Order: sequence, then C-alpha cells, then structure tokens
Amino acid sequence: MKKSFTKATAFDNQFLRKALIMTKIYILILFCSIYTVKASDTYAQNVRVNLELNNVSLNKVIKAIKEQTEFEFAYDANLDQLILNKVSINAKNEKIDNVLANVLKGTNINFRVIDRIILLSSNVIKETSGIQNGMLLQPQNLTGTVTDAQTREPLIGVTLIVEGTTQGAVTDVNGKFTLKQPSSNATLKVSFMGYLTQIINITGQSRIDIRLNPDVKNLDEVVIVGYGTVKKSDLTGSVTSISNDKFAQQNVSRIDQALQGRATGVQVTNVGGAPGGEVRIRIRGANSALGSNDPLYVVDGFVGADFTLVNPNDIESLQVLKDAASTAIYGSRGSNGVIIVTTKKGKKGSVQFDYQGQIGVSNVIGKFNLLNAADFAQVVNEKNAAIGLGAAFTPANIAGFKEKGGTDWQNEVYQTAITNQHQLTISGGTEKTTFLVSGNYLKQDGIIKNSGFDRYMLRSNLNTQLNDKFSFRFNLTGTSLVNSNNQIQSGTGNPLVQALAWAPTTPIYDANGNYTLNDPVGSLKTNPLALIFDRDLRVVRSSANIVGGLRYEFIKGLALDIQYAVDYRTQQTKTFNGNYATNFSPNASIASLQQVTLQGTNSLSFNRIINEVHSINAVAVFETQQYTANSFNGNSAGLKFPELKYDNLGQGTTFTVGSDFSKWTLMSFLGRVNYAFREKYLLSVSIRRDGSSKFQSNNKYSTFPAGSIGWNLTKEDFIKNLDVFSNLKLRASWGWTGSQAIQPYATQSTYSSIIMAFNNNNLTSGTRLGNPGNPDLKWETTEQKDIGAEIGLLKGRLTGEFDYFIKETSDLLLNRPLPSYAGGGTYASNIGKIENKGWELSIGGTPLNSKNFKWKSDFNISNVNNKVVSLGNIADRIFTGSNVGAAFSTQSEFVYQPGKPLGSYWGLKYLGTWKPNEAAEAAKFGMVSGDARYEDLDHNHVINTSDYQIIGSGIPKTTAGWNNTLTFKNLTFNIFFQGVFGVDKLDYTRAAALIAMGDNRQATLVDIKDRYIPGVNETSNIPAFSKTNQTKAQSTMFMENGNFVRLKNLSLAYNIPLPALGNSASLRISLNATNLLTFTKYKGLDPEASSVGNGTDLNQSIDYGAYPNSKTYTLGINITF
Amino acid sequence: MKKLIIFLFFSTLLVGTGCQRFLQEDLRGKVLGDAALSTQAGLESALTGTYKGLGNTWATGFLHATSIAATMGGDDVTTLPGGNKAELKEFDTFTVTAGNGRTGNLYSGCYKTIQSANNIINNYKTTVGVAATINIIAGEAYFLRALSYYWLVRLYGSIPLLTSAEFSLDLLNIKRTEPTKIYALIESDLLLAEQMLPNTKRDVGRPNIGSAKALLADVYLTEGGWPMKDQSKYALAATKAKEVIDNHSTYGFQLLSTFAAVFVNDPTLNGTAEDVFVIGANKANGTTLDANYGWSAMPGDIGGWDDFFSEINFFKDFPAGARKDKTFAVTYTKSNGTVLTWQQLVTGHPYYQKFWIKQDDPGAQNYSSSLPFPMMRYAHVLTIYAEAMARSGGPDALAYTCINSIRTRAGLTSLSGLSPADFAAAVVQERAWEFAGERTRWFDLVRLEMVEVANSHRDPAENAIPNPITKANYTFPLPLSEVLANPNLK
Repeated sequence: MKKSFTKATAFDNQFLRKALIMTKIYILILFCSIYTVKASDTYAQNVRVNLELNNVSLNKVIKAIKEQTEFEFAYDANLDQLILNKVSINAKNEKIDNVLANVLKGTNINFRVIDRIILLSSNVIKETSGIQNGMLLQPQNLTGTVTDAQTREPLIGVTLIVEGTTQGAVTDVNGKFTLKQPSSNATLKVSFMGYLTQIINITGQSRIDIRLNPDVKNLDEVVIVGYGTVKKSDLTGSVTSISNDKFAQQNVSRIDQALQGRATGVQVTNVGGAPGGEVRIRIRGANSALGSNDPLYVVDGFVGADFTLVNPNDIESLQVLKDAASTAIYGSRGSNGVIIVTTKKGKKGSVQFDYQGQIGVSNVIGKFNLLNAADFAQVVNEKNAAIGLGAAFTPANIAGFKEKGGTDWQNEVYQTAITNQHQLTISGGTEKTTFLVSGNYLKQDGIIKNSGFDRYMLRSNLNTQLNDKFSFRFNLTGTSLVNSNNQIQSGTGNPLVQALAWAPTTPIYDANGNYTLNDPVGSLKTNPLALIFDRDLRVVRSSANIVGGLRYEFIKGLALDIQYAVDYRTQQTKTFNGNYATNFSPNASIASLQQVTLQGTNSLSFNRIINEVHSINAVAVFETQQYTANSFNGNSAGLKFPELKYDNLGQGTTFTVGSDFSKWTLMSFLGRVNYAFREKYLLSVSIRRDGSSKFQSNNKYSTFPAGSIGWNLTKEDFIKNLDVFSNLKLRASWGWTGSQAIQPYATQSTYSSIIMAFNNNNLTSGTRLGNPGNPDLKWETTEQKDIGAEIGLLKGRLTGEFDYFIKETSDLLLNRPLPSYAGGGTYASNIGKIENKGWELSIGGTPLNSKNFKWKSDFNISNVNNKVVSLGNIADRIFTGSNVGAAFSTQSEFVYQPGKPLGSYWGLKYLGTWKPNEAAEAAKFGMVSGDARYEDLDHNHVINTSDYQIIGSGIPKTTAGWNNTLTFKNLTFNIFFQGVFGVDKLDYTRAAALIAMGDNRQATLVDIKDRYIPGVNETSNIPAFSKTNQTKAQSTMFMENGNFVRLKNLSLAYNIPLPALGNSASLRISLNATNLLTFTKYKGLDPEASSVGNGTDLNQSIDYGAYPNSKTYTLGINITF
Repeated sequence: MKKLIIFLFFSTLLVGTGCQRFLQEDLRGKVLGDAALSTQAGLESALTGTYKGLGNTWATGFLHATSIAATMGGDDVTTLPGGNKAELKEFDTFTVTAGNGRTGNLYSGCYKTIQSANNIINNYKTTVGVAATINIIAGEAYFLRALSYYWLVRLYGSIPLLTSAEFSLDLLNIKRTEPTKIYALIESDLLLAEQMLPNTKRDVGRPNIGSAKALLADVYLTEGGWPMKDQSKYALAATKAKEVIDNHSTYGFQLLSTFAAVFVNDPTLNGTAEDVFVIGANKANGTTLDANYGWSAMPGDIGGWDDFFSEINFFKDFPAGARKDKTFAVTYTKSNGTVLTWQQLVTGHPYYQKFWIKQDDPGAQNYSSSLPFPMMRYAHVLTIYAEAMARSGGPDALAYTCINSIRTRAGLTSLSGLSPADFAAAVVQERAWEFAGERTRWFDLVRLEMVEVANSHRDPAENAIPNPITKANYTFPLPLSEVLANPNLK
C-alpha cells in the first residue's frame, strides 16, 4: 500500500489537501484515495472529541464530529439508510479512532481515517489484503483498470457507476475493478477527485482500460493571492498562475524567462542582452511617468523582493495579480501589478536529490554590415571632396587597404560565450518537519568580450508542525551576484557604438603595441578595445532574505499568523578606467550600498462554510515595513599604479568620498472578505490604508478600496445540463491602487553635492540647491476596472480566459521642467492623468492526446493602449529625455502630450532626399538636390525646432506568446514563440554609423554606398554628401518598425527512468536553443534590446549601442533520485 | 504552548505602537533649510557650489567648447563645414536657433551660478563665523553673479533678472529685463566685490580685488558700446583699469616677458601670473577637466576634433612675429610621421597652437587637462585702459605703454602719435590678434558694431553666411527650454 502512495506525490500538495477538506464528498468511495495519506495521522492523533449523545441517528453523530473538528465524512450512497440507525456515545476528550470504534460497534459499517477525512464503508469489504472488488459483490463480468492518463499510475478509489442503476465499483490498490456486466446499452460513469469525469459505453465489453485526465483547471485548484489563498473557482479577480512545470522544459536562469510569453498581460522585454542584463516587466502597461512601473514582487510573503535574487529552479508557482481586485490589497504599491512567488517546500518521505547541470554556448544574433577599409577610405575621400575638404587618404593608402585589409572592429568586440549552471536540491521530511535546501551556481560569459555574470544562491526552506495548533516556517535565501562589464552603457562610452564609429583604416594597436589612442578619421572617442579591456566595471551584490512565520489556529477556520522578514542587501560597484580609456588620467572607485528592509506582518484569517451554502473567507492584516539604505563611495584619480585597479585606492593622487543615508517606512492596515453563495455567486471586498513617511501631514495616509463580483455559471443547473462547459465564469472588478513613484525626501528641498576644482592639485566638494521639494506631494492613484470571462470546453481540453480593463491614473506625478533661470531641474507635482486600456486573451488546449503522443498548446495575446490624458494645463506638452543621443540632438527625444502615449517620440518627419526636379524648392531652404528633406510644418523654409512633431511611440501595444509542448513517450519537445507589435524604435546606432554625427565623423555602414550621388544615383533616400546637407538623427529616417516575432525557445528533452535508484528516479537530458530565429523589419541588431534600462518607460525603445540578445544553445542534464 | 501564545500576542502589540514616530521622515545626512548656510563652513561649501555652474565639463559653463561656439561669429574662429559641428556652425553662419544646445550650456551654467550666488548674498549676514572670511565668501559670490550676468546680457540681451534663490511657481511667469538694469546690477555687484575681496586670491580659480576691478573695467568698456552706448563709461573703464595697473604687483598680476610663456600650457603650473581670473580645472574628475585645450583645437589629421580653427584671412592678416609663431601651428605631424602644412590638412585651415597642451608624456595631447581656463588676463586690462583712454580723454603715455608692451612682446613695432580714433582702432585690432580664439573678438565686434564689416572679409572657402547679418544676430535666442517653461519670455 505504502508504495503506491509514495508514487503519487505529484498530487500530494497543499492545494489539493485543502481542497479536499473544504469540499464535501458525497461520491461513492470505498477506500482511501491516494492523496490524503500524508498529513493524516498528525491530526487524527492530536485532535480530541467530546460527545455525549444518546439514541440519536448516526447522521447526527457525524454532524457533531464535524462541528468540533475539521473532519469530513465520505460514505457510499448505499449507507444512506444505515446512517439513520440509532446509536449512543459518551466520549470525553477521546481520540477519533476510539470514538468511531465505539459508535460503529455493532453496525455493519467500517471506518478509516485518512488525514481529515473519515471514510465509512460497508462491513462486507475486508481491508486486509486490499480490495478485490466493489462493495456490492457483482458477478465478475466486466473488469479493467483505471490509470492516470499522463503518468500511467494506477488510480485507487476511483468510482465507477453504471448509469441509471445502483451498480458500481471502486478501484483497488492496483487500479483494478470488477463489475457485473450490465444489460444492454449501458454506460459507465467514471469519476475521481481531481480528474475529469468520463462517461464510457460498456455495452458488450468484458474488459476495459480507462485513462483519466487530470482536471487541472476546473477543480478546486487553490490560487495564492495577496495575504491568503482562494479556490480558483471562487476567484473574482484577474490572476494568472504559472506553475513550475510550465517552464521546466526550458533551462531558465531567471524569473523573467519563466514569465516571458507565458503570462497573459505581462510584457517581458530583455532590454539588455547581457548576461544578468536588465529586463523590463510590465503588467497591463505603464501607469507612472516618473516612478517605477515594475511590478511588486512578493516572495514567500516578503513584499518588495528583488526578483533577480530568486532562483527560478526553487519556484513552486508564480501568480500574477493584474486587476485592482487582486492588487488593491497591496495598496500604495499595487498599481503596477503584483507577482507572488512561492518557493518549493520539502515533502515528507525519503530524502530526494535533484541535480541539474547546464552548459551553453552563445553568439550575437546579428552584426551590422560595415565597409571594409578600402571602401571606407574611398567614401571618406568622396565626402571630403563633396564638402570642400582635402583627401584624407592617398591612392597609395587605399591600394594598401585593398591589399592588406583593415580592422573589423565588430569582430574584435564580440566573442562566443560559454554558460555553466549547476543546481543541487535536497529535500525531504518527517511527519512533522519538511525541509528543502538548494544550491545554485551560474557562470555566464557575455558575447561582448570581458563581460559576464556569476551567481551563487543558497536556499533553505523549513516547515514544521509544532503541534496541532502551531506551525512554524523559516525560509532563508542567500545570494551573491557579480556583474562584470555588462551594465548598459548607452552612447559613446559603449564599445558597440565605438566599434561602429572607429574607422576600419585605423589599427587596433599603435607602433608600440599599445591601444591606438585616437582615431584620426572616424570616432572622436575611445578605442573600443580600450573600452573593453582597459576598463572594469564590476558590481558585486550579496543578499540574505530571511522570512520566519508562526501560525496559530484557535479553532477550526480561525488562525493568527505572525511573520517577520529581514531583507539584507549589499552592493559594491567597483570601477576602473585605465590609461587608454581615459587618455592617461587613470581612475578607480568603489561605491558601497547597504540596504536593510524589515517587515512585520500580523494577519488574522477566518475561513468557514456556513450551512453548506455560505462560504466566507476573511483576513485582517497589520503590516509595517522599514527600509534603510547607507551608501559610501570613494574615488581615486591619477592612479600611480593603474594595474592595481580599484583594489588599492590609496595609491592615487586626488580623492573624493561621499556617503548618503535614506530611509522610508510604511504602515498598513488591510482587510478582505470573500463571500460565495452556493459557489455560484461570488463577492470580494478589500481595503487597505497605508501610512507613509515619504509625505507630509495631510498626505501621509491613503486608502485603497476594491471590490469584485463573480458568477460561476458552471454551478448553475441550466449550464450543467448543457454538458458543454467544464468551466464558465463571469467576473467584474473595480479598485484603487497606488504606485511607488515617489522617492523619499521628494517633499524636501535638499542641497546636492558637487565637486569643483580650484587648482590642479585638489578637488573641493561643495553644495548647491537641488530640485525644489514640493510639500504637497501624494501618491498617484490608479483606478482600475476589469471584466473577465473564463471558459472551459471539451471536458477541459480547451480553455479560454478573456479580460478587458481600463486603468486610469490620476494625480499623475510629473517632473515639471523648470527653466534654467529658476535654477533648472524639475519640480515634482501631482498634475497629470494617464490611461491604459486593453484586453487579454489566453487560450489553452490539448489538440492531441493519445497514449503515446500528446500536444499541449497555450496561446496568449494582450493589448494595451497607453494615453496621456492630461498634463494639468501646465503646458501643451512636456519634454523629457534620456539624453541617450546627447551628441545627436539638443532636443528631447521624448515628449508627453495629451492624447498620445507616454513618452512619444519627438522629431522631424523625413521626406527623403530632394530630387533633381525639386531643386528650385530645395533652394528655398538653402539646399540642393540630394540633401535631406524634412517636413516644414510652418512653411517658413527653415527647418528648426518649430518643425518637430510626434513621430512615433516606443511603448509596445501588443504582445503575444505561443507555447507548445509535444510529448512522445519519454521525449518532450517544446517550441515557444514570442511576439511584440505596435512599437517604434529610434535607431541611433544605425544613425551614428550611417550619417556620422556627434562623435562619429564618418559613415561606416555599407549602406552609405547607396546614397544619393548626383548624376549617378538620384533615387536614393540616403542623403548625398554636400556642404548644405544637414541630416538629423532625430527624425523618421531612423524611426523603425520594432515589431518582431521570435522563436524564443526550442527544446528537446528525453526522460530516462532509473529504476535502479528508486521508483521516482529519473534522468533527463535536454537540448535547448534560445532566440534561434527573429522575424523583424528592424534594421538594428536586436528589436528587443534598448539603451535605456528598465527604470523608465518613456525612453524604452531607443537603441544606441544596446547590448543585443544572443543566440544560445544549451545542453542540460537533470538527475532526480 | 502558553509561552508561544504570550509571545505571539506580545509581538502583535509591539509593532502597533508609536505610529506617528514610525512614519516620521528621517532626514539624516541631508543638507537643507537654514542649517545649510548658518555656519561659515556651510557658506563656504555653498560658495564652492556657486562656481560649479561655470565649470561643469560637458554639461554647463566654460570648460568645454561652448564658449568658443558662442563667439564663433568673430572673424578669428570658424569650424567644420559639415559633419558633427552643426551647432558650432550655426554661430559661425549667424543661423543660431533656440534649440542650439551650446547656448543652453552657457546659459544654464550662468544661471545656476546666479542662483547659488543669490543664496549666499541674501544669507551671509546671519552666518556665524570669522567675519573677515565670510566677507570674502560674499565678495566672491558678488563677483560670480556679476560675471554670470555679464556673459548672459552680452549673449542674449534682455534676460530674466533674479536676485533671490527662493523657488516659487510665480517665477514661471516673469518677463525679460532690459540690459540697462542688468548692467546696473553687474556694476553694483562688482563695486561690492572689490570692497570685500582680498588682495591675494585664495586659490588659483578664485578672484581677488584686482579681478573684480578688471572685470568692472571690461564691463564699463562694453557699456560704452552697443547696445547701451553710454560714452560716459569709457572714463570709468579707464579709471578702473588704471587701478589694476597701478596695483598690479599687489594683486600678483604681470605681463609675462614672452608670449610663448603665456601659452606654455603646462598642466603642472596652475596657470601663470598673467591670469586675472581663471576657472579652475582638474582632470582627476570628469566634471572638472578642461576640454578646451588639446584635441578641441587640433585637426582631425593628427587626432584632433576640429572644434575650432582660424579663419584663413585672419591668419593671413595676422602680423608675423613671435606671437604669430606661438598662436598658430605651422606644421602638423601625423602619427605615421608625415608632416603637413595647414594647406594640406583636410580642412585646409590653420589651427591654434596656443591651445595645445604641453607635451611631456604620451597621453598629454588629448582633450582633457588640468589647465585652468583663463576668462581674463592682464593683457586685457592693459588694452582696456588703452582703448578706454582713447575713447575718453585720449591716449596718454600710459596708454601707449600699455599697448606697446603688448606689441613689443608680440614682436611688433611700437605705436606712436596716433589720433584718439586711430589709436582706439589700433587697440581693437591689437586685441583681435593678442586674444585670437580667446572669446574676446566677438564681443569687441558686437560692442563696436563691426560684426557685419568683419564678416564681409571672408575667404570664399569659409562657411557661407546664408542671410545678411543684422543687429538681430548680435544676440542669440533664449534657449528653447526657457520659452517652453515660461511663454512670457517669447
């Protein structure tokens, strides 16, 4: 027996245990069901019953026991009469076993206690050697087995009823059953908890093997929501759940990879292709212009966790809370959506070892097509001649380049990168205590030379049941990360930009073997290889996250939970810039940051079903959080021993130091009530009141209410009778949330620190007025409305979910730009309004499901339309800029303007080149044919600032994901596409290399050969070389369609059972390919990468030397025993 | 069991107490409010911050090629016809737009300095400390405010006038103030500064009495010309310049014996005795390095940036001698050893050798140095006296001494016996050569309304000026950011 139970661990999880307890079971069960075994004895051993009843029906006794305890009773319908028998009982503080033995003495009823379920059965069955046949001894005419369609494990205790009769059977420990062959045209109803019910025609059959499909969607799956759990069927909010099996096929190393394309309504963009690079995650768009639009991460109850510090291999499930009904419980931090991460726990039973190892190879996904040295020299001479300058290269020079070639800077910059990952997990547990300890090591080289990422992680999760009322949990995670030279360096300090700027005619090294210090023809800036090797930027982060909790259950359904968490993070940023990277002014620095967050959460929860129709689930919480940060930095310039880098700062000639302190506190009261009537009509109401240290007097406290309703049509008879829907639910929600847009001290006018030089020996620190503080600041408030529908068809083989939402953020915080004469800078004010409207659709299906072959397909698509509604009448538009293209343009590249998306592009409309027949018109602009032509909005024949307009939007409108898993016996094939649509990218990388502006002096792209050449090529829209021409980078010429569809993942895994090591032992070998194919019109390297980090949404799609994503092949091995 | 329950309730109560205190903002480590300027150290720190507006490399102020850009309308400097120098070229061809970032760099830096100076000037009287030092601090603040307004009024004409550092939203509606009032403030600030400053500069990059007087003399000279044309100021200019000349040894100013010594450009020297006022620089920090010397003034052929170089006719008309030899590079040596003449350079223009960095180590010749950036040198004072005298009482012996000491050093013959008008014209011409590329010529052309004439004498190879130059080109449009934030400034 025991053996069978351990095999079934997959279903022995907390969700189903709870589900079982919460649901009454009236179906025919003769014997134990497999997933009830584990936690059983503890409860039964500890709980005591007091009963004094004389001559009452057995039914009444059952009721009395149920009221005192958490036990549920399950019994066969044929016992209906028996339980009306009169019995007597007098029990004082007795164990359930004794009570039942006494009560049932003399009846024909047997009992068995499994966890919190008491099974009553007819005495006819002997349990000694398992069950041989059904409860009513039938002539053995029809036999068969019932197995799990996926695992092929026998299912024990499955109910089989011949429809329209009282005949039935229950499967035994081997999943076998025997049934008297019924008369003609009989159908058999096969049902089992957690599986889809099947109706089978058994006419004339004597043997039948039945495979049951797990009913993942429809049954009482439990979803983790903020500060509690709720049955999936009772859920009225919009929540996407991702369990770890969804991404187990892909060798993921960070949470974003698990979310990408799999969670509807969640946009995941790898803006930095570097290992450990930045990723932008957005749930239902961007609501804040100033603040972070990152979702709030809650890891095992710790609010505000850093997702990069969580090992995805440790994750049990991810829940994405999207609508206000779900997120308002997080109040002032809920408006960007919430991602709840639950980590794995150990399971009772023998110790399990799990090892995963991966090795990967990465290469850049594409390169620019650059001029060779001879062509480049030729083009430079052509340009010089055209604008009246002398030749830069002699014919002899050019001949030399033709013969010997030049420098391919792109080749010099990139490398083939190797990745290693190892993970070992040890888990197990005794009756009372379970544990899981995992260690992970990741070493990832970057595709740009000398860049990489190292990560060490250790997790320990401990759970223990102190007694029947107290339980205790303790999770500890330690992480150490090292980012080496992989931060996004936008602009001219970036080796990728310089690789396109440096002339192919310039050698890497000078005559002395040192990096060539300057490029006489191409770039004004530093040698790309000096930027790679003569610089070092290392960010070392360490963190410890400790969560401890104690839970006390007063009476059934009423529990107090106290949890404390400490999150400790340190970060050390070390920089070094050597002689060749600084023109012989070597410097180094170390900046340290220590952040400590303390959290206390006290929650009181109440769960009860009253009179079997009213289900109430309520929670009240008091929570405090306190964050403190201390930073320190030391800079040393004029290093006497540059080779010592940042490790001996004292050996410099000029020093500066700095330090800072920052703190905020948050105190919250919150509560929620979920109510369900007959599981049909659902209502949920929540409220949170947050007090924050960031605001002054009247604005310190804010209240965030939310409410939602749902109608579970599946529970209505008229839907049930249709027998079409396995799930059909309508829901609607409304609520307010806040955002984390405001940093501490924003209401204060503080001085900023500066460094000034009064001579060549010293630096002097000083202060000057910073941005004026606005004492009236308050939270931005986002009101969100959502309506949704869930549907399940074909017995759950086809499921769908649709949501439509409107998010309106008012009191939008904007940095109002101040004129320079008033001291410049900005004045943060709650003045604007922004709107995100959109819809989400997910469809899941199992198109093929046969014994050996299964195809599971999940598709999701979401659409968000972002719009600035108002700027509070302070201006027609407000400019904002990343300064990414500082050398290209003096105008902000981005603008907020009512009616347009947040951070729309600002620029000139490029109309192509002036053509030969337009020479007269061109002359009015002082131009000639072949020069760049721009739309002259005010028709004054001058192209200036008044001709700028909105030329695009960098916020993607539509994202989609399509994930397919095909299983053939032990082979699993995964293919996963990701798509992003409705986005424009401003491609400064290409602009710099094509039109040579700013710090680039010459074109390096091959495309320049196709330019307009008078008399030769007069159709080209690449402007000619001319004295009068002025090409602008900030124009539609470099505004490109950023839509793409990407084959994000392709993997093949083979599972080999290893019976020698135990039944659950297995070996999995997988081969993975990431970013294999990209379909896009984008002319840059990577439509997904951008030069601006995840901190802002305004500038999100600008590309000026963005670190491109790589094509990666990974070989993985996974051993479990 | 009981212990656990007690612990549980105790801990629940614990976190619930002290709400008000818990939500108090903790201002540790912040400099703010009255405390910032209440002590002498705080005031000194704020003074350091006042300088920053004028010296924030690449961002604001004078330490990079923004000030040379602004003066490109002079006949002494020009820039590339195409490519990446479009913004500089706008100044050279009199097509400056509000969106030109170079004007923004100077403009915002000057106003940031004015804001900080206002803060000191309005608060130093209540600062606790050594009165003499506090006085000097305030004197430097007056000097910096005057210097900043002086640059602004010359570049933009009517500008916003602010004498308070306090921010209020009302500031977003103010209007421009005409130059007369701006000059009045500049004069009164400098008169105060010369009362408060010491004889000896506290550091290389700070002013002394002589600096204030010299700047005031320059201001008076400018007021005598366009747009104020207040002839009475010339006498004041002469008087003020003479005060400097008479006390030059007290202030530590002298005319160096050779022109080459003035532009030795040795970063280890901390400037020379000819400096009247410099903005300090130190390449140990990216925001304090001086990027005006080196590559900015060198041709691309030898690794330079071609930011600015000499107009061809200016070079041709420049009288030969020791000064010309130092001012311009005659030959240019490429990295492969090839030697080029200026005609053989890609741009075909002569370059200003006087802004090249002294070559001691392989890295010296680049864009960053610790050379202090001179805003005025003693030679300016001498020419101010000479010109102001010529335009007021007529050139006296001292005026001739002043101009001839400069000519002699340049390797030119002495002047004598000129009419006041001819003498004045000779001084103006001398200033063009002596201060070639030193952000002086443009302002001389403007105040004497010679911009049109000077630019009529251009070599055909220079950047073409598309439209006739008018008085509207004598000042630049306010930066776009200003007009957007405050439409009243239009």
